[in-house]
Amino acid sequence: MTFFQTCPALILAAVLLTGCGGDQSVLSPFSENARTVNILSNVLFIGGFLILAVVIVLAGLAVFGSAHLRRRLAGENTVVVGGLVFPLVTLTPLLLYGYALLGAGPAPLDGQRPLEVTVIGEQWWWRVIYTDSAGNSIRSANELRIPVGRPVKLSLKTADVIHSFWVPNLAGKVDMIPGRTNTLTLSADSPGIFRGQCAEYCGGAHALMAFKVVALPAKEFATWLEVEQSPAREPQSQVESEGLELFLANGCGGCHSVRGTPARGTVGPDLTHVGGRKTLAAGVLPNTAESIARWIRDNQEIKPENRMLPYRSLEPAELSAISSYLAGLR
Amino acid sequence: MIPGFSTPRLRALGSWIVGSLVAVICAALLFAWSGLYNIAASSGHLAVTRAFLEFGMTNSVRTQSAMIEAPNLVNDVDRVRLGAGHYQGGCAPCHGAPGEPANPIAKHMLPPPPTLAPHVKRWQDKHLFWIVKHGMKYTGMPAWASQDRDDEVWAVVAFLRRLPHLTPEGYRELAYGSASAQRRPVTALLSSGSDTPDIAACAKCHGTKSAGPTSSLVPRLAGQSETYLAQALRDYAENSRQSGIMEPIAAELDELTVKAVAAYYAGLERHRDRQPEPSLTGDHDAGEKIARNGAPEEAIPSCLSCHGQNAAERYPRLAGQPQRYLALQLGLFRSGVRANTERARTMAAIAERLSDRQIAQVTAYFASLPPLSLTQNMRDAAVDAPAKQGAQR
Repeated sequence: MTFFQTCPALILAAVLLTGCGGDQSVLSPFSENARTVNILSNVLFIGGFLILAVVIVLAGLAVFGSAHLRRRLAGENTVVVGGLVFPLVTLTPLLLYGYALLGAGPAPLDGQRPLEVTVIGEQWWWRVIYTDSAGNSIRSANELRIPVGRPVKLSLKTADVIHSFWVPNLAGKVDMIPGRTNTLTLSADSPGIFRGQCAEYCGGAHALMAFKVVALPAKEFATWLEVEQSPAREPQSQVESEGLELFLANGCGGCHSVRGTPARGTVGPDLTHVGGRKTLAAGVLPNTAESIARWIRDNQEIKPENRMLPYRSLEPAELSAISSYLAGLR
Repeated sequence: MIPGFSTPRLRALGSWIVGSLVAVICAALLFAWSGLYNIAASSGHLAVTRAFLEFGMTNSVRTQSAMIEAPNLVNDVDRVRLGAGHYQGGCAPCHGAPGEPANPIAKHMLPPPPTLAPHVKRWQDKHLFWIVKHGMKYTGMPAWASQDRDDEVWAVVAFLRRLPHLTPEGYRELAYGSASAQRRPVTALLSSGSDTPDIAACAKCHGTKSAGPTSSLVPRLAGQSETYLAQALRDYAENSRQSGIMEPIAAELDELTVKAVAAYYAGLERHRDRQPEPSLTGDHDAGEKIARNGAPEEAIPSCLSCHGQNAAERYPRLAGQPQRYLALQLGLFRSGVRANTERARTMAAIAERLSDRQIAQVTAYFASLPPLSLTQNMRDAAVDAPAKQGAQR
């Protein structure tokens, strides 16, 4: 086989393998949980492959083997060994191994006090509430920031239908079920930005319900949390002041909170530090002033039937003032 | 085969029928082409023609309106007054009114628009509704200008029921409201230069400085922002807000007049009438909660975030508006009738989330508030705002 004959196969393999890395992949684990899932998957893949190989060989022998061999294969022993004994001795240890590996219940905390975060799935975004040691809650949305190395205890809930919280690089899926609180404890090994996605069909815009997890070194995380706790940044320019005024006068505060201003709605995402997030509208748009303006105006086109009100009556200048104010809320 | 009808006889019969039909059509075409038929309104109809047309019309109205269910109109003074206000401008020019004979031009139409008082008895409410809503072909009776506003048509029906019992004075009181005393040009009220539009067209329903609206189906305009009032008139004129009552009035106004009228009502601090004690249906306290905090579980934002004292001028102030008017408008938003402008679509999206109960609650709350004028709001806001913001920090 020459190089030129194998070349297309190599290229194809290379292209397919690029799907194995990236910021939303089970094959590139960044936490103990994800690694365990990865190990178990590999055991299953390899074991399954070996069993398949044996079955193919036996099937071949059953067709092409000598008469003696075929008679033996057709005997009762084959059924007893292959159909009863073999599954029993492989599946039972595998089950025990799986239990041991994944652990029943939340992962051990290793004596560390976990960071407690509640994530509530809503059609079609994520409400994120950090709770500090004093019991104060800090509200954010569509982005989860966690400190590297420290366990994070996530309480997963839903405000409406069943959603599923899934950050493949960090942990397996956990459903968010009405009336229940499911717990997921995870911790990231190293800094990074990972993509999460709702993994349970939850209505029309299900595919547009993503989020980012940002794992930060402990010190950076502490700094970030301090900023996140503080009230919103004051407007820094004439345009931003107008933006705040328009934001309030057009009723945005009926749904959104911006701490430090009269806006204290709780229907939609808290916008106190919206400008500091990586994405807008649950992972749908890059977070820029232009995107914010586009979202305010065309949110029903971007994410059909989402619960944000259409605000197409705002003038372009008004939109741009509001969006520069919001983009500045870092 | 039916006995006695052989194939050749059938053929002959067929040809005879077809031939006759062709002959009749040709004769009709020839007659129309000749112009011998006199279509003059001045010539009137033969008695037999009139009887036949009357027969057809009566039966058509009865059959077409068979499925309509009439609301209870008895003693509904709000509907009667609103209907009266529209009747004066929209119907009386052709049909006349107690003490006001129809325009002589209208009397020479064919058929001449009837004086309605003696005729109303002939019809049930649903018949009258059907006639007012759909109009009549070949009579000059137009259909209702906004086919989605059945509520307005019923108001006219309610008035028609009252019509036979009205004296000229009674009619004037109903139809002109306080405007009968105030027939002054708006420019005199504003002392600004413009044409001389007569505020009476507005005042007959919406009142003036000295008197509030005549019906709880009519909004109180005093103290709304000029921006909002002018935009509402433009929306009516452009048919992007639906109303068979307001659209014809707004369509006649030029931009200067729109601004003058808006400025007049915006300039009134409040109507100096005794605000009718609202008989509220719905839990007022629950309404206040929704108005202040919304209902987050149902994704309903607080009403006051757009309709409170500090909101932008493009939104109306709701304090002190009649409950019936508010509930009616929320119903129109919710059913998509009032969703033809970008601004209305924002509200329509919220109204879709409101239950009947919540509508009763919030409207009860706003109706119970004293009407606050915008000018007064601004003064209060200037005093309150710094203190409030400080408290929240």
